[in-house]
Amino acid sequence: MQDWWIITGITVAYLIVVLAVGLRARSEQASTLVGYVAGGRELGLVILFFIMGAEIFSAFAFLGGPGWSYGMGAPGFYIMAYLGLGLLPWWILGPRAARLGRKYGYLTQADLMSDRFSSKGLSAIIALVSVAAFLPYLTLQITGAGYLFEAATDGNVPFWLGALVAFVIVALYVYTSGLRGIGWTNVIQGIIMVVVAWVIGLAVAYRFYGGVGSMFREIQARAPEYLTLPGGGDGMSWAAFSTAILVSAIGFTMWPHLFMKSYGADNERTIKKTIIIYPLYGYLLIPVLIIGFAGILVFQDNPLENQDNVLPELVVNVANFSPWLIGIMLSGALAAAMSTGSNLVHTASTVLVRDLFVAVFKQDMPESRVVSLTKIFVLVLSVVAYLLALVNPASLVDLLLGAYGGVVQFFPLIVAVFFWKRATTAGAWAGLIAGSLVTLLFTFFVTTPFEIHAGIWGFIANIVLLVGVSLATRPMPEEHVKKFVEGSKATLEEIGETEASAT
Amino acid sequence: MRSERTIAVVMGAYFLVCTLAMIWPGAVVANRIEPMIFGLPFFFFWYVLWVFIVFVGTVILYRWEYGGRS
Repeated sequence: MQDWWIITGITVAYLIVVLAVGLRARSEQASTLVGYVAGGRELGLVILFFIMGAEIFSAFAFLGGPGWSYGMGAPGFYIMAYLGLGLLPWWILGPRAARLGRKYGYLTQADLMSDRFSSKGLSAIIALVSVAAFLPYLTLQITGAGYLFEAATDGNVPFWLGALVAFVIVALYVYTSGLRGIGWTNVIQGIIMVVVAWVIGLAVAYRFYGGVGSMFREIQARAPEYLTLPGGGDGMSWAAFSTAILVSAIGFTMWPHLFMKSYGADNERTIKKTIIIYPLYGYLLIPVLIIGFAGILVFQDNPLENQDNVLPELVVNVANFSPWLIGIMLSGALAAAMSTGSNLVHTASTVLVRDLFVAVFKQDMPESRVVSLTKIFVLVLSVVAYLLALVNPASLVDLLLGAYGGVVQFFPLIVAVFFWKRATTAGAWAGLIAGSLVTLLFTFFVTTPFEIHAGIWGFIANIVLLVGVSLATRPMPEEHVKKFVEGSKATLEEIGETEASAT
Repeated sequence: MRSERTIAVVMGAYFLVCTLAMIWPGAVVANRIEPMIFGLPFFFFWYVLWVFIVFVGTVILYRWEYGGRS
């Protein structure tokens, strides 16, 4: 039997399991919008944990992550640092978002912000920026899946077919089972990813160097600059490294799906338990970074053209691993791409339909229509992203960077929602727009001063204008803003008791 | 009420230290290869260590917040 048959066989077996689990999850929920979007508000800890873990580790973990440590070395540790720190603000923000979500029936992040600032336009802007970040991100997952399939099977499964199979399965189970389907498939995909990353990481270190310790000894002897900052290759200064960690960590809690999932949590302890386990996901980066470090000496004489290909190049072309191992590697990498992809397509379609279409144009749309429209958009967005992956425009990464810069700028507004009654609609608009423009400016057009991350300058502009313009404009009605600041103080458990006594 | 404030201040300081340890200026002292620990260069190990310290901090915080009630 040919090698690529074994590789494909293992991978197809994995895909069938994911599809079966994803479709089965449907029978466990009612098909209302709340069920479809927020998992019926009673997600358990295990599901919540793997949803979050599996969605964060995207195709990036198997392509871009090793690419960082292969290309520069030590600067790659920034990923571990921001994963360790990133969810900490959620300890404060998450429960408050969940409380207001329960009280006022929010389903998305924009619901919360546009209600507080009484602005439908804000909802539309948030939706557009979010989708502008999601679509290229989703496309990169599809591209990653297709590329990995092609590399692992030596071209016998072409790019278009591998990408198609992986994402038809994603679209199917998200369409039929919503968040619950994502939850159960993520449990499987999360476990596979973690196991595969460690197996491959250690296997690569042993295959080329006889162990992790001896690998780093050899790098120390032949290319020591990779092991400390500023690192090898282009390297990264302390200012760039530190501010990249800060911006990524702050922006981490602003992804719209985090809010949607907090509305789905059954109690505050669940949210906090997730935050507790979360830093440990940073440890998945250890084997991933090791793989990249392994490539430094292996490819020292003929460097790779694209550093993100270091893992497939090592595993498939250089190491001569058994096809079984390559098949398992491919399944793990697909798991990472597909689990993130499913979350992205689910969130993007919800945001588009609810925050843009319903909020701005058709507020009286019946819920059943909203559900079916959201499902249709799951399919539409999957097709669009797939087509984009085939064309693979170079501007995709720029679009992602630019849009993410905008997503990060939601942070001061969210803090103001919970803590600052004086913030006004005009202040929110001014802060958001100024922050995003400054970030874009220093990302694409002007070299950022002092090598400080563009997002930090954006934050400064954002906060200055949010505060300045808010103070210069008339305060919003006390009754209204109290809903959010005082309203977010009562815990979910207390809210539950009032609801129970009211009925 | 006062104990809630104490928790916030102490844990806020704890996580601030964690953050500063992973960026400039804290991480500067760890920017070296020797000693290698668990086969990892010291700078690599530094991040493994601090991620663990963050984890421990969240466990302490959780126990502190919910310890009295059940």
